[in-house]
Formats: sequence, C-alpha cells, structure tokens
Amino acid sequence: MDSLAELACEARRRLLIMAAYDPGIHIGSSLSVIDILTALYGTGRVKFNAHNDAASRNYLVLSKGHAVHAIYALASVFGYLNQDELRETGSLGSRLQNHPEDDTPFVDLSNSGSLGLGIGMAVGLAMALRLKGSAGRVYLITGDGELDEGIAWESFAVIASYGLKNVITIVDLNGAQLDGPSEEVLRKGDLAGRFKALGFFVQTVDGHDMEGLVKALEAAEESGAPSVIIARTVRGKGVEGLEGSIKQRIPRDEALALAARTTCR
Amino acid sequence: MSLVEELTPREAAGKALADLGDLRKDVVVLVADTGETTRAKFFAERHPERFFNVGIAEQAMAAIAAGLASAGLMPYALTFAAFMARAWEIVRNSIARLNLPVRLVGTHAGFSDPYDGPSHQALEDIALFRVLPNFTVIAPADSCETYRAVMASAEVRGPVYIRVGRDFHVPATCDMYKVFEVGRGYVALDGHDVAILTTGQMLSFALDAAHVLKEKGISAAVLHFPTVKPLDLALLSRYARSVKALVTVEEHVIHGGFGSAVAEALANIGPKPIAMMGVKGFGRTAKSPAELYQFFGLTPDNIAARAEELISIS
Repeated sequence: MDSLAELACEARRRLLIMAAYDPGIHIGSSLSVIDILTALYGTGRVKFNAHNDAASRNYLVLSKGHAVHAIYALASVFGYLNQDELRETGSLGSRLQNHPEDDTPFVDLSNSGSLGLGIGMAVGLAMALRLKGSAGRVYLITGDGELDEGIAWESFAVIASYGLKNVITIVDLNGAQLDGPSEEVLRKGDLAGRFKALGFFVQTVDGHDMEGLVKALEAAEESGAPSVIIARTVRGKGVEGLEGSIKQRIPRDEALALAARTTCR
Repeated sequence: MSLVEELTPREAAGKALADLGDLRKDVVVLVADTGETTRAKFFAERHPERFFNVGIAEQAMAAIAAGLASAGLMPYALTFAAFMARAWEIVRNSIARLNLPVRLVGTHAGFSDPYDGPSHQALEDIALFRVLPNFTVIAPADSCETYRAVMASAEVRGPVYIRVGRDFHVPATCDMYKVFEVGRGYVALDGHDVAILTTGQMLSFALDAAHVLKEKGISAAVLHFPTVKPLDLALLSRYARSVKALVTVEEHVIHGGFGSAVAEALANIGPKPIAMMGVKGFGRTAKSPAELYQFFGLTPDNIAARAEELISIS
C-alpha cells in the first residue's frame, strides 16, 4: 500500500507541473480522484495498454471527464506516457485534451465531459460484456455534483433492474461543484440510502485511504450484486495550499512552487 | 413485399428489426417503455436476450446505446420521435461525436399520432438530427420503404436516425424500385415543368398533386428523397437544371428540415424558384391524420396550387 501511495504522490506532483503549463486543467477535481485511480491502475484492475479484444479485460469509465489529467499523470508515472508530453496538454495538436475525446489515449469510453453521460455509457458497456459472456468488469467513476443529473439515476435504475453486477460505481464524493458545496447547490441527501433503496451493495470509504479503497473494491467484486463505493474525498487533496479549497485552476508560478514542495517519500 | 405492404409503418419497423436480428447477432434493441407502441416487441419476441427496456428514460437509452455500440454491438433504440428529442444532447455528445453505429428509430412522427396532440407530434426531428455531424437521416414514405430502410441502415457506418409513422400510410414505393439505397433519391414520376420534391409520407400526396397538374396541362416531376442526409445531389441537380421551379413538401416544420436541405443544396447548384411546404408551428389534437393534413394545408390540391403559382410567376 505504501508503494501505491508513493505512486499517487508522484502523480500529484506531475499534475501540478501540467497545471503550470495549462491553466485550463481542473486541478482540484483531479487531486480528489487520483487515489481512486491509483487503486484501480496500481492493482492491475484496469490497464493502460489493454487491447479492446482481450477476452476478460476490465474497463474504466471516468464520467467526471474534467479530471482526465489525473489519468494522464498516472499514465506517465506508470511509464506509458512521456513526461514531456504532459506539458503539451490542452494544446491544439496534443492528444491530451482537457476532456476525453475520441482520440484521447488511455480512456475506454472516451467522450465524457458532459456530466452524466459516462454513467449511461458504462451501463451499455456492461450489458454488452454480459451479452458476450465476458468476465470483464466496468469501473465507473462519477463525481457527486454529477449525481444531480437525471440520467444518473435513470442509469442506476437500469443497473439495478438488470442486476448488472459487472459495473462497480465509485462516487468521488469531494463535496464541491461549480457553484459551491454540493449539498448547498442541490441536496444529495442520504446518498448511501438512495443507492440501497435501489438494491445496491453500498460501501462508504475514505477515498484517500489506499488500503480501504482496495478492500472495498474486493468486497464489491465478491458481492455478486450491483455495487457502489462512496469514496469520501477532499478537493485538492495532498497539496498544501490547495487541499480543501474549491480552487480548480491555479497560476503557473503557484503550480510550480507547489510542485517543488510536493516531495514523495 | 406484399406482406409488408399490409403492415403499418411502425409494424414494418418492428418486423424489419426482428428479421435483422435473425441475420445479425450483433443487433440489440432498446426501448424506453415503448416496446409495445413502437412494435419493437416483434424483435423482443424473437430475440429476448438482446432486448432491453430501460423504462421511461430516453436520455439513459441514448447513452446506453452508445455504450453498447462502443463494445462492438449494433443498437437500435426506439421511442416516439417527439421524445427522442429529449436525448438530443446525449445523442450529440455520446453518439455523434464518436461516430458510433447507433440507430435511432423515432416512431409516431409527423401527424401520424393525431390523438395525442402537439406534445406527441414530432415536427422538428429531421432538423434536430440533420444538424448533427456524422448522422444519416432517413424518412421513409410508407411501410414497404420503412422495412427496407431499417434493413439497409445496418450497412451504414455511422449513426442513423429513421423517422417512422404510426399507422397511417399510403403505399407508394412498394413497386417503385427494387433496392433501397441509403443516400439515393428516386424518380417517382418524370416531368419537365416543375419538380415536386418530397420526403416521408408526403410522397403519395405529391403524386396526387402531379395528376391534378397534369389535367391542367402542367408536367410535374415527383422526386422522392427518403434519405434527407446525405441528400442525393445528383438527382436534385439534374432536375433543378431542367424544370422551371421546385416545390418541397414535408410533414415537418419548414425551418431546418427537408426543404431547407434542398435550399442549401440549390444555393450551390444554382438558383431556382422554390416553394417550401410544411408546417409553421406545433400540431393539434385531431381525429385522424387526414384532418391534420387538411388543417395544415398539406393536401394534393394545395401542393398543385403552389406549383402552378410558382411556375406562372417565374
């Protein structure tokens, strides 16, 4: 688990360097979700180099597509992306676009960005895997603000109705959305209760505790039921000065200074 | 094809899906609590394992279809054309942008559902789907063409929207041609003074209008464009050069629909007087489609009158 935490720390440092080159990246959201992503990639559940036709490959759908830079940072930490390329993110000619596009590497269902769509697409993917008799799973990451969307609950109801136990939903509950604290913008209520009422196997964990995340993933996989992990996270986590702040974008000098201060043991 | 001729348009779509399911194992069908009303149940009866009812949730249906397509399957998603529009942004972002082979079938289109009134009468769907890059848009004229169009849509690489009526139809294409080709227009009647251009169920009305004109000594061609996008420019330009004027007729608003597509093309081919006939607002509750066609002025006599007026002043 220590090594996973170290990988996540290095990915955070690289995120800050990306932020120095591209003020358009959503640094706060990327930092809240990066431990969840590290738990998935670091345990081999999802891979950066999976072939589409691999018989039982798993899929990752990052429905909160604005945090895609966390995936880019991790891809470079795992050696699948040259660090230099990170500096080009958000440029016209770069394949590292600021929301996943159809030519974006390392994302399975690529065109998130419009919130809620990834949730429905993950359901379609899971239906297709089941129809094909594949043992593969779909790991779906949503934000909490995203759960305001009607399509989110339409899709969760379909997961429940069809008993799609091959989708594992992970809510990156960072408590913030564009106009302020999530609960203030629009009531989310008892999220765990809402999922339970639909028949989901619900776990609530600390979304920055690597061991807890991995254990929750194992329990979800063994549950034999549609499953959701509500991961309590903090925006800007792991970077002094950003942690707990609602800041999504930071100036170049500040990003570089923060990167210099981020030392991974 | 005689069997299909006796079906309603939505039944023809359902039968085509069931037959397509026999031929292709990658075809899956989604409905939004509309298995019965769209007749997608014909597919469900034969291929239950490949049929998904997602409830009254058009947005989820569109995104789920995108997910299925991205995994290599060929989803057909069916609901009322009026309610397919609710999923437009999802269609744009998760289907059109990825150029996925999702087929959206909007039934009860145009005035084919008179009983439920304007909320159910889709008169904007051609415009909404025509504007999306990568989309092919097909509006068949009758049950025969609906069956052929659904079967042919499986061969299209990107996303497709197929506009289907409920029960009303006048058979017009069953013996008109042998093979339906996506993107091709058909000469329903040759003529040299004026060309009446139609899509969807207006074909039989246009043919009747041509006969009215013939009695007045006016030779009218009737060109049928079941595929609105891509439009058959070769056929259009051939007639645009030879006739004096063009009349477009559609069971749709005149803004952004079939007439607009023809006018856009004419802007390149060369100007010709053009009258665009269609609807200018929302629909109405009525007892039959015929009442609505009458109320909104979409009748053979009106089409003939517009054609006559246009060539007399051009």
